[in-house]
Amino acid sequence: MTATQSPPPTPAPTPQPESAAGAAKPHVAPGPPPGHVHPLIVSLPYSIHERADKATADPQLQFFVTRATYYKDQTRKKVFAEVYGERYDQMRELAGNIKQHTLDYLDHYLGEWIDNAEANGVKVHYARDSAEANSICLEIAKANNCKLCVKAKSMVTEETHLLPELEAMGCETVETDLGEFILQIDHDAPSHIVTPMIHKDRVASAKALTAALGVPYNDEPEVIARVARDHLRGKYRKADLGISGGNFLVANTGSVVICTNEGNGRFCTSAPRIHVAFVGIEKVIPGPEHLSVMLKMLARSSTGQPLTVYTHTMTGPKRAHEHDGPEEMHVILIDNGRTEILRKETREMLRCIRCGACLNACPVYRKIGGHAYGAVYSGPIGALITPLFKGLANYKDLPQASSLCGACYEACPVKINIPKYLIQLRTDMVGGKITGLPDRIFYRVWAASLKHSLTYRLGGWAQTTFFRLQAKLSGTLAKGEKYSARGWLKDAPGPVKGWTSQRDMPTPPAASFRNWWDKEHVRSVNPKAAEALKASGAGEAKPAARQH
Amino acid sequence: MNPTAHTSTSAPRTTREQFFARIRTALEHDRTIAPSEPAPVVSDALARTTRATDDLTQRFCEKATAVGMKVRQIVAGDLTRTIGTLLEEIKAKRVVVSVGTVPQAVGLKDSIRRKGIEVVDWAATPGLESQYDTDAGITDVHAAIAESGTMVCCSDAGHSRGLSLVPPVHIAVVRKADILPDLIDWWNKMKAVPPTQWPSSIALITGPSKTADIEGVLVTGVHGPGTVHILVVTDV
Ligand code: SF4
Repeated sequence: MTATQSPPPTPAPTPQPESAAGAAKPHVAPGPPPGHVHPLIVSLPYSIHERADKATADPQLQFFVTRATYYKDQTRKKVFAEVYGERYDQMRELAGNIKQHTLDYLDHYLGEWIDNAEANGVKVHYARDSAEANSICLEIAKANNCKLCVKAKSMVTEETHLLPELEAMGCETVETDLGEFILQIDHDAPSHIVTPMIHKDRVASAKALTAALGVPYNDEPEVIARVARDHLRGKYRKADLGISGGNFLVANTGSVVICTNEGNGRFCTSAPRIHVAFVGIEKVIPGPEHLSVMLKMLARSSTGQPLTVYTHTMTGPKRAHEHDGPEEMHVILIDNGRTEILRKETREMLRCIRCGACLNACPVYRKIGGHAYGAVYSGPIGALITPLFKGLANYKDLPQASSLCGACYEACPVKINIPKYLIQLRTDMVGGKITGLPDRIFYRVWAASLKHSLTYRLGGWAQTTFFRLQAKLSGTLAKGEKYSARGWLKDAPGPVKGWTSQRDMPTPPAASFRNWWDKEHVRSVNPKAAEALKASGAGEAKPAARQH
Repeated sequence: MNPTAHTSTSAPRTTREQFFARIRTALEHDRTIAPSEPAPVVSDALARTTRATDDLTQRFCEKATAVGMKVRQIVAGDLTRTIGTLLEEIKAKRVVVSVGTVPQAVGLKDSIRRKGIEVVDWAATPGLESQYDTDAGITDVHAAIAESGTMVCCSDAGHSRGLSLVPPVHIAVVRKADILPDLIDWWNKMKAVPPTQWPSSIALITGPSKTADIEGVLVTGVHGPGTVHILVVTDV
């Protein structure tokens, strides 16, 4: 076995018809406006607060995000209930087991995939990291003298930040997924792994089209889509390089499977002479029967569709007897930190099939949107894998960006126990002293005080008194009897300032349930009356309740 | 083994061996071994949603309609006439056709031409180029899947990848006998074919080209066909 060599020199590109749309304009790499901040390129260590604060104060953003996610979450539940009913959980179990098994023997299955893919004429490349992946792709483009690249949606190329590099070498590169295309011409970045543009509305989209293509402003979604369609068809006709991602690699056939709804994925992998797929090593599954299971779960989890509109299985480049298809098919297998996550303790996270269901289900994601996560992968799965890809110290806020409600775990078609791993990361942060010293001292003291009744009560008293005082000062504490009177703790000073600036918390009542029970209830029960009750066989609940 | 000799000026490329060494380290495997347990079994009772005993034609029509395709059930004798009417409705001027596997479609091309519609010889031009300025693609299918209302379109000598993708309207002829119950059945069928003989492209098509990228509003026909007509021929 030998590693794949760089592509052989190829003949001059096929002459393209003059009539192809957009032929007249020479390509100038469109740079972002000065002072532009790329939403996914952030300075490290990343602090979530600025963006989260901005997002929580932006009702429009929250409306957009909630509209896009809540409906999909509901549809997912409804569809699975119809199709699998009680078997839904077993299907998640099966899909999870398939991925886990393949990951447990990844060397075996990936090897099998490579051998079969090569037998089908695919050229396989190995990229340790982003830089290597991009440079392999640039080499392929250079060797084939590629001038125009059409690109389908791929999260991995977002990871490697491929586009600017292709543009810089003089190969015009166009995103073809409608959302990604608009984001590209607007110098923006995706905020959801499946529906990239949910943070943007029709007005912003139409303005971007007007600015980039000089078309008259029209914000009807139909019109926006048609303008993009016409523009991008011109690109497909001339493109000599097509780039895609890959949703699955089928080990025993050597196939690459991509799932798309618009059809741009099929164009990008069929029209140009060269096709390059960027695929993470965790995408492999054993055989076609397993593909059935994964496909049955993927689209339903994503959008509630039974399958995406186009599920495109590619097994090698154009075959000799076939009429069309790429002459060369390259697959760049990408590690880029995945082998770190592959170790036993975190392996389960690599099951992810990027369906987006956990984002759609997440109450925190709905509040802060995708860009607040400061990385390519957002939402619950992003909070988990970003710190592992980029270093826990660099993304120490992300494992905290969860209420641990478990909605993500319930939604996940491959049953990744996201809350469990978020807690593990939090533990690692304390162990690795990434959590600041004041925090660590605070939690130490807290933990110690929970162990003794006296300190526990003292702590409880101090907390209640402080909270109620704050609430009284801010004028939110309602007057009333002492067990129910509540107020809101907000914008408190001192060490809880940061915490309370973003969250309102009800104050505890003056006396705890325990005190209430002891004082008001137990004492009031006349022992004689209780005896009489017991004798009559009623009121058994009361003595039982007392034991607590 | 030989490290890759790239002409690049940058650091030497990662070899397959180096790449796999990292994977094995993470897995704590000292060498690659065949799995000690078999891959998870896909139990039919669990994963299958549709069985051969179900009314497949009805299920297929229902599901295909639900995802936004326009479905008609016809008899073979009506095939040519129905396609003619559809083409008139969309005022087609140029079409591409590949219905080789449907014997009942013999003479289809001639009948289309008689209506003054040009039948473009897509096979004469390499690539997808001849298909961009056409109004409809008329195809048979390699299979259909009742579970999801899916059509399977493969590439081969008689089928361009573009026929079901490039023209704005796709008219597909599905014979009753083409309809498989479940996705599982399609891949089982393919398992009988050695992968080196698989078509380079297998497209499972479940609906017209769609997007909801702009404010969640559903728009069809963003890249592929916005309209898909399915003619289910019920007597073959
Ligand atoms: S973690 Fe699970 S739910 Fe989230 S994107 Fe990945 S597969 Fe989907």
